[in-house]
Order: sequence, then C-alpha cells, then structure tokens
Amino acid sequence: MSHMKQVELHHGARTDVGLVREVNEDAFLAAPPVFVVADGMGGHDGGDVASRIVVEEFQRLADAGYDPAHGGDQAAATLAECQRRISDYGAERVASGRARAHAGTTVVAALLVDDGGPQWLLVNLGDSRVYRFSAQRLEQVSVDHSVVQELVDAGTITSEDAAHHPERHVITRALGGPEPAQPDYFLLPLASAERLLLCSDGISGMIRDDEIAAVLATADDPRDAADELVERALAAGGRDNATAVVIDVVGWADAADYDSDRQRLSLEQKLGALP
Amino acid sequence: MTTPSSALRSYRPGDWLAVLGEHAAVLLPPSEKARVADLWALVDDGAGFDVVLDALISGGLRELPGFVLVATDAGTTRIVVRGPARATATTPDGGDVVVDGREAATWAERALTGVRSLRLDVGDDEPAGVDDALTIRGGLVRVGSVSQPPEQPAEPDPAPTPLPEPEPVPVPEPEPEPEPEPELDPDPDPEPEPAPYDDAPTEAISAVPPVPEPWPGTPAPVDPLDHDTPLPVEPDPAPEEPHDLDHDGDTLAGRSSEEPEESRGPALTSRPVARLVFSHGDDVSVDRPVLVGRSPEARRFTSAEQPRLVSVPSPQQEISSTHLEIRPGSGADHGSAVVTDLGSTNGSVLVQPGLPPEDLTPGVAVQLIPGAVLDLGDGVTIQVVNPG
Repeated sequence: MSHMKQVELHHGARTDVGLVREVNEDAFLAAPPVFVVADGMGGHDGGDVASRIVVEEFQRLADAGYDPAHGGDQAAATLAECQRRISDYGAERVASGRARAHAGTTVVAALLVDDGGPQWLLVNLGDSRVYRFSAQRLEQVSVDHSVVQELVDAGTITSEDAAHHPERHVITRALGGPEPAQPDYFLLPLASAERLLLCSDGISGMIRDDEIAAVLATADDPRDAADELVERALAAGGRDNATAVVIDVVGWADAADYDSDRQRLSLEQKLGALP
Repeated sequence: MTTPSSALRSYRPGDWLAVLGEHAAVLLPPSEKARVADLWALVDDGAGFDVVLDALISGGLRELPGFVLVATDAGTTRIVVRGPARATATTPDGGDVVVDGREAATWAERALTGVRSLRLDVGDDEPAGVDDALTIRGGLVRVGSVSQPPEQPAEPDPAPTPLPEPEPVPVPEPEPEPEPEPELDPDPDPEPEPAPYDDAPTEAISAVPPVPEPWPGTPAPVDPLDHDTPLPVEPDPAPEEPHDLDHDGDTLAGRSSEEPEESRGPALTSRPVARLVFSHGDDVSVDRPVLVGRSPEARRFTSAEQPRLVSVPSPQQEISSTHLEIRPGSGADHGSAVVTDLGSTNGSVLVQPGLPPEDLTPGVAVQLIPGAVLDLGDGVTIQVVNPG
C-alpha cells in the first residue's frame, strides 16, 4: 500500500439548514480518505437521526482502521450496519407511536480504495449526488434514484423538465427503509477525478449545473468552493438543507502519467508488493 | 469409515438439491436451483464452511427460504440448518443431537466434535423410506435425505453386494436444464412493476409482515401526478395541517420501478477462471469483472461484484478510456472467461487458438479459450492463460 501514502487529499465541507427549514436533516463526514453526505427524511427525530447514524458509522469505519485494500467490502458492511440501525430506529419509532413513518436517508460516499492502485470508490443511494470536476468539465457521476430520473431514462421527460417536475423530490431508493435497498457503486481512477463534489439536493436542486461548474472552476481552495456552493444555494432561496463536500486529489493526478506509473510498478516489484 | 469427513455418503431420492463435496455439503430446496451451479463450483473446489456460507447468504438471508450446510474440518463438524430441514448427529458418547431449522427464526447452528454419523432430512415430507439408499462420493443429486457414513444395507451381508455405482456424478456443468437467465437472480420478481406510488418501496417479496405505515412521503394515491405542491415528509392524518412550509426541497421516497432488475445475483466465483498476461507487465486473475482501458471506470455495480480496473498505456490514444471487459462467464460460459468490447473507438481484435482473427462486436460477449490473445491497439495485447 505504499502508493496510498502518495495520495494527498484536500477538502472543504459546509452544511446549512437553509432559509426555510427548522431542522437540518443533512449530515456530512470528512475523515480522509472517507467522505460522506447524507440527506435524511422523516422529520424531526427522524431524518436528522438517520443521517447522523450514517455519519457515525462511517466515522467509526475511519477511526477503526479503514483498509483501502478492502474498501468495497468495508463500505458495504458499514452501509449494512447503517441500514440495520436506521430501520430498527424507524420501526421502534413507529411502534411507539412517535411517528407514522419510517426514517430514512440518502447517502453518497467517496472512499479511497487500493486495488492495484488508488481509486475512488463512490456509493450512492437516493438523490444526493457525486460530481466530478476534471479538465474544467463537470460531470454528474451518480445516477439519482428518483422518480424523475426514471422518467428521464424512459424518455418521458427531458432533464430540463426534471428540475421543475412536481415529483422531483420523490426518491426510489434510500437507506433505512423497512427493507434494504441496493446501492450503486462506482470506481473512478484518481487521475480522472481531480476534484469531487458530494452534495445534497439542497445544492443541486437550488443551483444549476453550470453554476456549480463555475464555482468549482474558480474556487481553488476546496473550502472556498464548498462555502461558495452553499452560499449560492441560500441566495437562490435556500428552500432545503444544503450540504457540500469538495475533495481535491493533490499530488497524484499530475504524477499519474505513463512514466511515473512505470516507476511505481517497478518500485513495487522491487519491494515485493506485486507478484 | 466412521468419520463423517470422509466424502462417502448415501442418499435417498427427494426433491431437494444436494451439492456434495469433500469437505462440505449443501442442501437447498427445489426453488433454489439457480444457485446450485455456482455452489457446486465452490464445494467441488474444496471450499470450507465460511466460504460456502458467505456464498449462500451473500444475497441476503431473506432470499433463501431454507438450506442445510455441513462442513467438517479438523474433527469439528459445523451444521447450519434453516427452514424445513433437520440434521441428526451421533456424538462420540452415542447420543443424538438434532439441529432443526423449523425451530429457529433465522437458522439453527451447532458445532460438534467427533461426530460419528450424520443424517440430514430435508423437505416437508416424511423421508421416503421405501427407496434404497444410494451411495455417492460427491456430486449434485436430488435428495430427501443424506447419511454419512452411508447407511448399511438392511440385511447385514458379510460380503456386501456392491451397491450400483451411483448415477455418474454430474461434472463440470451440473445444471440439468440451462436456465434462460444467465445471471443468478435470487430475487425473481415475476410481478409487473407497480407504479412508483402504488406501495411502499419494498413491499414485494416480503415474508415479513408488512409495515403498517407507508414509507415517509409516500404520496397520497389521489391524483399524484397533479400535485402543484410537493409532498409532505410524513403523511399527516390531520388534513387541516397546512403542508406548504416544509415541502419544497423535501426528500421523499417512493417505489422504485428499476430496483428488482438492478439487484442482480451475487458473483459467487471463488476461483479464477483465467489469468490475463498483459503486454505491459500486469498479470491479473479473472475472479471478478476486469475492466481494461486507458483510464478505466466502472459504473453502477453492486457490492457483490466489485470490478478490477486495469490501466494500460496508450501513447497514441488508440485505446479507449474503458475499452473492454473480461469477466467470469455465467450460464453456458460458466467456468470460462468472457470478453466484451465496451464500444471502444478503435475496436478490439481477438485471436483464438486455431482460428482467424476476429473483430469483437461491441456489447457481445465472447468466450475465451486459453491461449487466446486480445489486441487493443497501441501495441497492447492481453494473453489469456489458464489460472495459475
């Protein structure tokens, strides 16, 4: 795992309750190399608890010796534990009459994994998003688990329609429901993801992708980028909790060309790290 | 012959499926036939208790109505029973220990040392006593019961008539009828997809009592497409409660119409089906999907089949960023590697031993024979060899 030490990550994170809501049901974790945004639902003592459980469990993973060589398995186990805790909590809450509905949460997570080289492992459940900003281009990597996304996929509506569709907040998968939902996983090479954005729909639902791209292009420091994204979401009305985590890969992307890759491989062979 | 770790067993016919190997035996109800081929690959390779159990429950326990798993290692026999099945073990002191899946909510498990004999009875029917027991050393058969060591013939015969050799062990491709669906799907959902609003997210296929309350934000069934205002976080019984403050931006949950087809079966392959020797030096086993390209990416996979990414140099940029995929085959290709060009810009050429070069058609999987060579362009080739 010698090359994992070569990867340096800088990050910035910000969350805000917004201008309309009373409770911030969003939560985030920035514990390099583990990053999470969760957007809870189910109201007070519901959504906020659900998203906090996700952050707690991933914090526990980061503290307990996260192993990038088994990142995929560890992420899956952590999500399973989140699912168990949230659904237990939700069931107990319903049974005791404190709520009529289960609590739940979205989750997007980015974890550095090592599988023959460092990569981003991304996880998505729900309609929070992972974007990558690379070579001055913004790309949404995660695919929303939402009704409007399904309508877009089916060709029923365009992605422009989706932004204003009345059901745009209805999601089709979440963490913590009565039965587990299947997360989507993604793997990206570090070199093609110099900057990642994890955000709740309080960002992506309030400001357009081209505005997100402009912020990510101009704010060099990821802390400034996260602040600016939240500020703009508030300026646009702040109708929802808004959370942004921006992560920069420093010192790897530029070094990952062919020659340095060869040097790395040859060094690892000498050290016996590769067969 | 007194230790159950010997692989010789006897069985009586029935409708459960028994996967019998040297160290482990797995019995599954008839409904779980789609799992059997991959389990056979594991068990026949000598996989132990943990590996087989992992494979069994990798898709979730809920998907598995019943099973028996028995494995013996270093004198300890571990027995797990779920559903309508029962294991009866004779211990060194001559007593019987019964492990009955019907008595457990999830499963019943015991670890016993020095087990002298073991009998497994499966299914709801009384074990058919009329049929003669047949002996088997390993393989895949339909059973109603399994005994280890084999039951003795009824009449004590000093020179036991050799039992007819059991039906030939169905070897490498044990699946009797090719399943139309190559991917294992532990969660077949024959129902047409309901509209997203019809029910809570996960109501189908549940053996659990339905949750009384709808998933938060499940919209009222009334005229859902006509909502001008977004929906409440929690359906509120009090209709006079105004719903206009807390709505916009709410994250709500509905029913997925894509989920069942997304939840594909776990990749159970435990051993590589091939090894890939790359011209630039990488040497990669195909025990899961391998994505090859200039800067390969993997999208929307499940935790059960995390792919391996292999970057190859392409100074002329002839190779696409995610160029092709090589993965363990399923169905008719089980046990082999298959290659699929992922719509690469400049294509891929495959040379199989004794055959002329072939351009891969994007999106079409081709089985790879050991000795095959793939040419991705830019001088990058991949040689397919037998797993080490």
